[in-house]
Formats: sequence, structure tokens, C-alpha cells
Amino acid sequence: MSIAIVDARGWQNTLDLKTGEKTGAAGAVVEMVKGVLQRHPYPGDMDPGSNRWVTDTAFDLIDRYGPRFVFLTYAAQYFSGRYAPMASDERARMITDIFLEAERFINASGFAAIMVGTGDMTPFLGFIDATGIDGLAVCTHWSTRYAGLYGPSQEDMRRLRAHPHIEKIVPREEIGKLFGGSPEQISKVPEYLMLAREGYAFRTVSDAKKTPVMIPALNFHVPLYAPGHAVEAVTGIRRAIEEDLSERNVVLIVLEGIGVSEFPWPHLSCRNGTEWFYYEPGEAQYLTVTSGEHRFLDYPTGTGCKYLDKAEATRSYPYSGIFKSVPEGTFARTFPGKSIAVGNRSMFMHMVTGADLSVECFARNLYNQGTMAVIHREDKA
Amino acid sequence: MYTVSGDILRERFPHRWSSCGSQLLEAMPFYHVYPGSRCLAIGTTGCNFRCRYCSNAYIAKEDPEIQQDRMYRLAPRQLVGLARKLNCRSIIFNVNEPTVSLPTLLEVAQEAKAAAIPMGCLTNGYTTVESTEVLASIFSFFNVSLKGISARFNKTYIGIDSSRPVLRNIRTLAQVRHVEITTPIVQGANDNEIDTIADFIAGVDPEIPWHVFRLLPEDEMKGAKYPDIHAIDAALQSARTRLPYVYFHNFIGSEWVHTLCPGCGHVVIERFSLGCGGDRLKRLLCEDSRCPDCGREIRLLRENACLGDI
Repeated sequence: MSIAIVDARGWQNTLDLKTGEKTGAAGAVVEMVKGVLQRHPYPGDMDPGSNRWVTDTAFDLIDRYGPRFVFLTYAAQYFSGRYAPMASDERARMITDIFLEAERFINASGFAAIMVGTGDMTPFLGFIDATGIDGLAVCTHWSTRYAGLYGPSQEDMRRLRAHPHIEKIVPREEIGKLFGGSPEQISKVPEYLMLAREGYAFRTVSDAKKTPVMIPALNFHVPLYAPGHAVEAVTGIRRAIEEDLSERNVVLIVLEGIGVSEFPWPHLSCRNGTEWFYYEPGEAQYLTVTSGEHRFLDYPTGTGCKYLDKAEATRSYPYSGIFKSVPEGTFARTFPGKSIAVGNRSMFMHMVTGADLSVECFARNLYNQGTMAVIHREDKA
Repeated sequence: MYTVSGDILRERFPHRWSSCGSQLLEAMPFYHVYPGSRCLAIGTTGCNFRCRYCSNAYIAKEDPEIQQDRMYRLAPRQLVGLARKLNCRSIIFNVNEPTVSLPTLLEVAQEAKAAAIPMGCLTNGYTTVESTEVLASIFSFFNVSLKGISARFNKTYIGIDSSRPVLRNIRTLAQVRHVEITTPIVQGANDNEIDTIADFIAGVDPEIPWHVFRLLPEDEMKGAKYPDIHAIDAALQSARTRLPYVYFHNFIGSEWVHTLCPGCGHVVIERFSLGCGGDRLKRLLCEDSRCPDCGREIRLLRENACLGDI
């Protein structure tokens, strides 16, 4: 049983991750993790101390668990860059600080580092209004490049194809062919996938949202710092980790919202998708890195499939975002050594990394609810 | 929001929406209305309150004029059409205060009624008698935010002189519509009113579901200490003896989100709490709105909901 410990600041609850039921799970690892959560309250997604929280929490876990593989995500700059207007010198300073933070971890831990940026940000130029159509367009507000399209009329297709800020409309069959998916996987993909031009984001049915200042750029390539490795695509990062782990402890650091144009360390420019498709920051991109395979069809995030899921009210893994099962094939799930993950990106770290222990912020749409830890394995302790 | 031109009161931004998305009713929260169903959650801009802790300040407090670029422009018929396409059982106004957009909402209600889709809303209840009647004609179910009773709290934290209109309107609405009540607890400010509020609810109708929120400090209160969950839970003990449907949530992993049968204490509805608009149904154990253990009726608005008076 995987155990989730939620910490709402000053109050904790221990749950079965799969059922969401309260559990009386106890023991040395559970107590240790509870202590870590208690000592490290999450400051908030856009707080200046948010990335420091990742490093400090990781140090605390390392001291008590002694992992050989560490997965870290630093994301404060992604949230701030997206929603807080800032001058270019402010942004440059922010990026310098992120690398200092990563360096602090690397120097103090002595782990060999592999670092990947999830892609550049670009100024937001405007919305593509896809609401007043005969069919239905859907995407989450974290998605900007892609939106799903269902049941469009001929008139919808004519209008959307002529839209100056829509680059392309791809039918489901073409997506299936691109990724070689099974009929079941392809059925989760929208009838059409619409692609926005750089700087534009789709406006579809959605909850209330703030207008972004910057959004992810067209990141067909992302930067990879992996000394001694020749990696061409994000699917090759896993092999680099495995090779380094045969000799020493390794940390994989994911830097959200940092692309090839702003990555100050020596790096490779790594393919971030295939053909016309690239990954936006999110679950599928992480899973592709940790599994070494393209995972868009398993988790077609950003295409709004959840809106059409009638059976969503009752489900497994209620605290795990869009996930309804633990993904297969993540590196840390099969790694025999100890592993941990810490991140301030979202509540999916425990799913996309498969680490024995993970600690992540529990913030929904920037509202800071606290933290959550997941214990997948305690038999290695 | 409105503007006055001569003797004419005019809505400033009709058919403009700050949000329009599919959500679960538990997330609103409505715990006793169509459990587990989806609604089309809509909102406009502006509010008649100035709560210091507003969680939607960028919509409720910002000048609506400068928000127009990001607004959805959807006629009432299109909005109702979206609700149908998204398999929504209802339409719920939930982001800001519905009284700032009454003419548009009256139009939506007509379309919704024609499509047999009931409407609900979240409101602060600070309305005139006449506006309350209009709200009751539009909406079949309400969640009224009773933020506090004392004049001191309301003046300091909400920006109004008195809670009297809110109390009056809760009494009125509870006679004709399904009503739930929400109270965000600001520790050291209104936690001393918990028993007074419970007494008020018990006086109106003890079976009104009461959502006690642990405040999530936002806006002017961002950075304030998060209220103590243990202390609020302890303060609710007395209220729980008088009110059968007291829920304590708005934080991850809350244990106080299940519905217990008022007759025998059996769990009849289980929910998950993901905090801050993320609650969801886990299991409905009273399909026929009766406790499976003792048979007592559980108050639930289900298939027999009215569609307003429009």
C-alpha cells in the first residue's frame, strides 16, 4: 500500500493513496516523513523562498533516508514568470538564483547532477477564443499550445482553420499514428488537436483564471546538462541516469520554465517531442523523461479529456491529480537503490517519478494548501 | 456591475463571464445537491463586499473595466448550450456576487429553464428584499456565506456595517429554496461567534448544511497565520450537538466532510477533501435519500428540484 501524508500546516492526516481512506499506518519511515513535513511548511508557489524549500526539504530527507537517486524540481520561476510582470534584469537575477540554488544542492550533497529545463517562456500575446463554436473546444488553463476539439461543424472547421493564430488542426488518427498507440489509448485523445502559434493560448471553457504574462514558448528542444553523455532527445535522459548511477549517487534536477536560450551552464539541445509535437511542461513530459518513452497517449494532458469523463466522481487516487493509477515504467520504481523526490511544481511528483519517498507542495491553482508526502516503498529503509 | 444614466440603471458588462467551466458540485461547495454531479460554474466580475481575505480578489475587487480582455463573451443560449455539451446537471454562479449581474442572470435563467437545467449560486446574501426575491426566482439552491454576525467583525473584515440583511435573507430563502451556509473562520476574529452562528442556523432550520471553512489567508491577509484546525474542531463540538450537518473543511485531507444520518449517526455520504474548491464525492450510500441503516430521510436536493420562477 502506498501511503500519503498530507500536512495542512499544524495538522496532518495519513491516508491510503489509492483509496483516499484514513489509515493507521505507522512505523519509523512514516514518523520520519511526518517530521520532515512538519519542519518544512511550504511557503507558496510564487514565494521567493519556494525553491529554497525544495533544497532544504531534500537535505532533511537525505540525512534520514540516505537515497542513491534524488529527483528534484524547481518551479518557482515558472509560476512567477507566468503570472508576475518583471523587467529583464529581474528575470535574469531570478534565473541566476535558480542555478545558485541547484548548485547549493549539488555542492553540499556531492551527487552527480543531470539537469533538464522544461523549456523557454515567451511573452503572452493573446487568447484564441474557441468558445462560441458549434462543437466543443477544451483545454486546461495550464495548457497553451494545445486544445482538444470535439464534434466541430463544417463551419467551425472553416473558421478555426482560417484563424491567424492557429497553426494547425490535427485529427485523432494522425496523433495515433505519430505515437503508435493502441485503440484504447487513442480513444482518450480528442477528435482533433488544435495547435496555437507561439505566444498565443486557447481560451476554452475553464475555471476562473489570471491572465498570464508569459507562457511556454514553442519548445521543440530543451536544454540538458549531462556531463559526459551524448543525449539527443528527452527519451534518452533515463539511460544517462542509469549509467551515472552505476558509479555514484545521482540527482536529476528539473528546472521549470527554463529553456535553451536562458540556460547558463554548458548544455545539449535535446529534442523535446517528435515531429510536429513537443511536450509542454506537465505530467507527460516528466513521464517521458523518467520512463525513456513517449507518454503523451497515456496522459494527454492539456487536451481537456477530463471534462468529458462522466465517471470521474468516484475514482482511485483522489489526491493524485489526473492520475487514476500509478504509471508503469518510471525509473525509480524499478531502481533497486533508495530514491526520493522533492518538488514545488504540483501534486504529481509521486506519480511521475515513482520514488520510494516523495515530498511535494499541495498547491492548487497557486492556492497554498500545504504539502503532501507519499511513501511508495519503506522496505528499503 | 451597474451604471446610472439619468433614471436608468444599466448593467455595465452584460453577457461577459470571468469563468465558465465544468466542476463537481462538492467543489462549490454544495454537499446536499445532486451528489457527484457536474455543473457549469460561471462568474462575472465585481462584488458588493470588500473582504480582507478574498480568494478571488483579482476578479471581485479589480476594476471590471480592465478585466474585459480576458472575459468570455457568451450569450445566455450559448452558455446553456455549453452546460449541455459538458453533461452538466446544473449551472452554478460561484466566483463573485450574483447581484452585480442580475439582468444577465435573468436571461440565463430563462434559457436554463427551457432546457430543464436548474441553477444555483453562492452569494453573500447582502441584498435588498426585492433583490432577494429576484435571486430566489432565478436560483433553485443557494450557498449563503454568513461570514460573521458581530458588527465589529463585519466592519473590520468585510467592510459592511451589519449582518442583519444577511440573516434576514437566509430566513427568507430557507423558506422557499434549498439553502446551505458557509462560514470562513478567521482565528481570533470570528471563531468566538461559532456558537452564536450555530444558534442562528438552528433557529432557522437545524437541517441546513453548514460548511465551516478554515480560512485560507489570501489577498490582504496573505502571509497571516493559518487557523488552527484542532482549535476550530474543538470549538465546533457544541454546534454538532444542535446541527446534524456540520462540515469542517477547505483544507487537504479533512475528516469532517462526510454526511452522517441525523437519526442513527450512520455514514450516508462519503467525500474527499482536497481543500479550496477541490472536494469530491467518494460514495453515496443513500441512493433513495434515506439512511440505509435506520431509514431516516436525508435532506438532499435531487431529481425533484424546481427550476425557479422565471
